[in-house]
Amino acid sequence: MNEKATAIVLRTVEFSETSLVVTLFTREFGKIGALAKGGRRLKGPFESALDLLALCRIVFLRKSSDALDLLTEAKLLRRFRPPGRELLSLYAGYYVAELLGELTDDDDPHPKLFDLANETLGALAAGEPVPRRVLRFELGGLRLLGHLPSLDTCVQCGTRVEAAGRVAFGQLDGGVLCTRCRHGMKQVVSVSAGALRTMTQLADLESQTWHRIEIHPRTLAETRSVLNHYFTNLLGRKPRMHQYLLQR
Amino acid sequence: MPELTQSVTDLIDEFAKLPGIGKKSAERLAYHVLRVHRSEALLLADAIRNVKENVRYCSVCYNLAEEEKCEICRDPRREQDVLCVVEQPRDLMALEQSGTYRGLYHVLLGRIAPLEGIGAEQLTIEALVERVRRREFKEVIMATNPTVEGDGTALHISNLLSEFPVRITRLARGITTGSVLEFANKEVLADALAGRQEF
Ligand SMILES: [Zn+2]
Ligand SMILES: [Zn+2]
Repeated sequence: MNEKATAIVLRTVEFSETSLVVTLFTREFGKIGALAKGGRRLKGPFESALDLLALCRIVFLRKSSDALDLLTEAKLLRRFRPPGRELLSLYAGYYVAELLGELTDDDDPHPKLFDLANETLGALAAGEPVPRRVLRFELGGLRLLGHLPSLDTCVQCGTRVEAAGRVAFGQLDGGVLCTRCRHGMKQVVSVSAGALRTMTQLADLESQTWHRIEIHPRTLAETRSVLNHYFTNLLGRKPRMHQYLLQR
Repeated sequence: MPELTQSVTDLIDEFAKLPGIGKKSAERLAYHVLRVHRSEALLLADAIRNVKENVRYCSVCYNLAEEEKCEICRDPRREQDVLCVVEQPRDLMALEQSGTYRGLYHVLLGRIAPLEGIGAEQLTIEALVERVRRREFKEVIMATNPTVEGDGTALHISNLLSEFPVRITRLARGITTGSVLEFANKEVLADALAGRQEF
């Protein structure tokens, strides 16, 4: 059956001289894998719209459970073109694709996550500061996928943990630990109350205050360190783009 | 149905692995090989063997070559002070067919694709920087594919080369963004070369 969807291109792999296998994150159907016959050609139903991170309007033919869907049309809505000579925005865009690919399942739609990704790519292409946009996407995405670490209640016993001074954060447990529960836990780091508050604000999708908050370089470094470990645990390996985003 | 011999089955299987060849076409090709004269069929076998045994990458530019250096690097009539950077030998072929470029090349053998685990160190970028450091190139033309990854690769390289006194240009945007050079026609490629812009 023919379906229509809005999609972000996560990956393209050369399949033959002229065809591509594409991984798309669609707003309506979640992640799908599809064969685009003639997708490498200049002309035809894809008009070279199938480039990494491009936003497209697609038509595709649903196949039975195991087979690849068949892409029959892709119309380019927006190409991802990072600004100027700065590679950081480009690499942040790749990171968005990596997280969408790794953290979502096939045929599991997350329209709000799609909107967040789309907004993030637009902001990166417009040259907005990268570190803040990346944090917003990571934390907002974790919240939407139900993976957000607990930032105010102990993950072990559910006691409310006051964000004051320094707080114990269990990397493996996925959130803060109260003073009683922290003992004997593995991979516990101490996080400042400021970093916890920053993360809470960035993860709050209902509010736009995250745009205005000051993020001290020290707080940013701390937050990054916590999230880098957290994503490594969540994915079972270090995200590929982390080294590219850290280099600078 | 009578059984095919093992040799014929093997040949069909090998043909079927080729891009764009299905089971039916593979059978047709195999029957063709069975039908033609022995000497003619062995020409194909020899051609395949020759390619695999004699073709390697040029030690200077990483184009395909049958000797240490490729034909372009050995040709003294080529302009020695202009360098064109492409992703693959097939892109070089496309530019050669446009017939307007007379300088030298550098083939990266890929593009920086971090999501596929391909970093700058897996390409021939180090050798490129070394070439530019050692030789007096007047201009380096970035002719990577006009895709997100191709543009990113060109940007990475132009950042590396910015410390050298060389003019860095890119092909004009006549070639459809998101597409690949090998499918662009000769005229479009010639125009893109002629209208190249500062990177
Ligand atoms: Zn507790
Ligand atoms: Zn050469």
